Amino acid sequence: MSTSKGLGEDLAKLSLDIASRENATYADFRLVNGRDQIVTVVNDNSSSEETQSMGAGIRVLYGGTGWGFAETDETNDDSIRETTLKALSLARGASKIGSAVSFADEPVHVDRWESPVKKDPFDVSLEEKYRALQESTGKMKGEGIVVRRGQMNFSTVEKYFASSAGSKIHQNFTYSGAALAVAAKGPAGLQTRSTRQYMSRGYELIDELDLPTQAPELTKDALALVNAKRCPDGKSDIILSGDQVALQVHESAGHPIELDRVLGYEANFAGRSFLTPDQLGRLQYGSDKVNIVMDATPEHGPGLGTFRYDDEGVKSQKKYAVKEGKFVGYLMSRNTASKVGEARSNGCMRAEGYHLPIIRMTNVSLEPGDWNYDELVEDTKDGFLMVTNYGWSIDQKRYNFQFNCEKGYRIRNGSIEEMVRGPGYQGITPEFWNSCDAVGDRKSWVLWGTPNCGKGQPTQIMITGHGASPARFRNVKVFGA
Amino acid sequence: MDMAQKMMQPDSLLKERAHELFRTVKDAAREADGIEITLTTGQSENLRFGNNELGQSQFGKSRNLSIRLTLDKRQARATTGRLEKSLVERTVEKALSQARTSPQDPDHLPMLEAQRYHGLDRYHERTLTEPAEQKAAHIGFAIDLARKNGLLASGVLGTNVGNVWILNSVGLEANYKGTNGFYSLTMDADNGNQTGYALSTFADIRELDAGKVAETALERARLNKNQGETLPGKYDVVVDPYAWSETLFFLTVSATAGYAPDFGMRQYKEGRSYLSGRLGEKIMGDNISIEDDAYHPLQTGPSFDGEGYPKSPVSLVENGELRGLASSRISAHRYNDAKPTGHELQLPNPLGETPTNLVVRAKGPTKTVEKLVGELDKGILITRLWYVREVEPRTKTVTGMTRDGTFLVENGEIKKPLRNLRFNQSLLELFSNIEAASEPIRNTTDFGGATILQPGILARGFNFTSASVF
Repeated sequence: MSTSKGLGEDLAKLSLDIASRENATYADFRLVNGRDQIVTVVNDNSSSEETQSMGAGIRVLYGGTGWGFAETDETNDDSIRETTLKALSLARGASKIGSAVSFADEPVHVDRWESPVKKDPFDVSLEEKYRALQESTGKMKGEGIVVRRGQMNFSTVEKYFASSAGSKIHQNFTYSGAALAVAAKGPAGLQTRSTRQYMSRGYELIDELDLPTQAPELTKDALALVNAKRCPDGKSDIILSGDQVALQVHESAGHPIELDRVLGYEANFAGRSFLTPDQLGRLQYGSDKVNIVMDATPEHGPGLGTFRYDDEGVKSQKKYAVKEGKFVGYLMSRNTASKVGEARSNGCMRAEGYHLPIIRMTNVSLEPGDWNYDELVEDTKDGFLMVTNYGWSIDQKRYNFQFNCEKGYRIRNGSIEEMVRGPGYQGITPEFWNSCDAVGDRKSWVLWGTPNCGKGQPTQIMITGHGASPARFRNVKVFGA
Repeated sequence: MDMAQKMMQPDSLLKERAHELFRTVKDAAREADGIEITLTTGQSENLRFGNNELGQSQFGKSRNLSIRLTLDKRQARATTGRLEKSLVERTVEKALSQARTSPQDPDHLPMLEAQRYHGLDRYHERTLTEPAEQKAAHIGFAIDLARKNGLLASGVLGTNVGNVWILNSVGLEANYKGTNGFYSLTMDADNGNQTGYALSTFADIRELDAGKVAETALERARLNKNQGETLPGKYDVVVDPYAWSETLFFLTVSATAGYAPDFGMRQYKEGRSYLSGRLGEKIMGDNISIEDDAYHPLQTGPSFDGEGYPKSPVSLVENGELRGLASSRISAHRYNDAKPTGHELQLPNPLGETPTNLVVRAKGPTKTVEKLVGELDKGILITRLWYVREVEPRTKTVTGMTRDGTFLVENGEIKKPLRNLRFNQSLLELFSNIEAASEPIRNTTDFGGATILQPGILARGFNFTSASVF
């Protein structure tokens, strides 16, 4: 992989020299070299694919008023020259109808960083991966089972970033993940149980997940769900599993704190946000139990949003978005930081591959509280436990949401009782987070990975991390599917 | 010559390149008993704007060589974006090494022999060569209009050209070249409390009426101010044809198996589809037909599937009855009652077949959206649905929100704008309650791998379950 660094340095020099000669106000260059593998088993059908891709993205600011971006997957001198000129021509065009761009200062960084890996997933044979998946799906058989699915995803990404300001940053990432899903058909229709986890780690994550051990439990659940009673409609206290809290954080906290959407740049597709700048430091977003951080630093853990530098060369930082319930911070870029009075970006510009970087979630995590999980259940008189997401939806300003979970249980007098199918809950974001009165402790906190967050036009898919533990919410509208 | 045009390779060069790559792969893959390559190239230009500023102009081009090798009834696929000879050879090695350690494929079939294809003319040079200045002028018009009316314009004008070549070791050669584009525009004010939206798609950029897109977004934004509240419940609705492509996508996939396609033969036969066991059953209203027709003049994409098999039109739903399924050579090999229809994904494909060119129709004379609204005694006009996801697979109940213009209609006239509403609605029930429809239009040109031609509809009893605060 180190050859890409040399190539990156050569091509970056070529590109940045052209941008400078053509009087660009600023330019940056990224060379991204990616390798992906996906191994899938669905019932008795199997497949594997490995993909190698490399390309360069060139971003130019012209006249201090117009941005242009061009990308290519032909990494030779001629193509980089042409692509740089194309970015310049788009920037010139935009500058004619643009206004002055603010661009927060960032120290020049010359650095190298690699995400920690114990077991390179590409050193593990395909045979072993198939064996683990087939053993798992083999344990999902049973009367009424119609879907047995297992999948593993691995990737390595090598990034070289250089800017006209002098930064030169080389980073290597390794990601691993796996998912199992089983569906049963019965009196209550199709019912699904699944598990998934994705992290910035090597194959050691797959070893730890021990998929074949999880498969029988998921199968038992799916078969039980087709005979379970529907979750009743009404208002109730709920405890959400950690993986469900992670998605709740992603949708109702992570997206509305993206400053580009707050400022209207995503109004046509992703939407806007109810967290407008006049609410910063004022709005009681949640109860005082709610602390949400934006933390891409390696110290936060090996999440899908962990890096040392973002895709515009800003060093990763830990900042609060919500502190003791109060809304205090945004995910920002160098272009937007000054719009909320910040002198520096907190490093949230990320791109899928070598595409255009836009503001994305890094690791947006709910900090652990002080509740032992068993005590949390024991403390709940009447309510529902809802486990693992099935479907999710939220309005474009991130107020009205609805989530459905795969399985639920009735809680009575502090004890988990009968299973219910199709449990769902619906609410309005600030009301919901203000109803949170208990968050699980560090022991139950997991840094979950979301590998499929779509944003931008054309749409880019981003990987994000969300630490969360089980949490309780009071008097929520619940229903059954 | 415009730079965009200069950066696109002529067809003859691309054909030569595809054959040259095939020779390289063949030389390196002597051990393989079957070889297939798919060479995909593309070029796109997206002028993206927000807050009345042209802030994210993007240009990109891409090439991809995907190699499928079969070896002793095993197969694997390896793909590379780097086409240098040594790297192609390395990709072949990867495919070979993966094929050697893959499980034997119980559905193994020899490579598909040479086929004859219906020619499709879906390439429009002008879409590629339209000067950026002209496209920027369309955006400039929308921004000016927004400014004059105290609004902010956001959106994207995108154009794409794509080529695909499939070659295999028994002489198959399939190729396709096509252009498409879209112009999507929102005008809003008051932090999105007042919004209007419009969309247009095209294969030839000369079809684009950018002025009409801007005026439609403006008109809706003007109307959508000071929204009133309405109680959740069942309402008769008119759904604008551009409003619901995402909704229709969820009719064709299920969350149960990780958003796997449902209208395919293998998933149907294996019991994975929510439709399994329902062939011949009435699942929608008598007036509804859904077919997959790659040859419809408004459709996009090639006339062959992932292994180069020619696509046949398939009637999926006829007069409300589930009548047919997308199929493939594998299904024909597995099941006595299945015939290939050209709906295979790239192999190996553990998910099953999928329709790619849907056409949704309601029987009876078509009506304009204005006319459909005119026929609504009391109900709601929906101009955009958003964030649709599955809630329950058997009834195909989905949830989602309205956005960018939800209007109360009384006596055939728009009375007032409403705050956005959440719905929980069975799609099978919705398709049983459609009373009238407009001509199908092409919505987003490529949503979830399928292009959907869909009408605007007048439907009874749409189930709204809660309201948002704006």
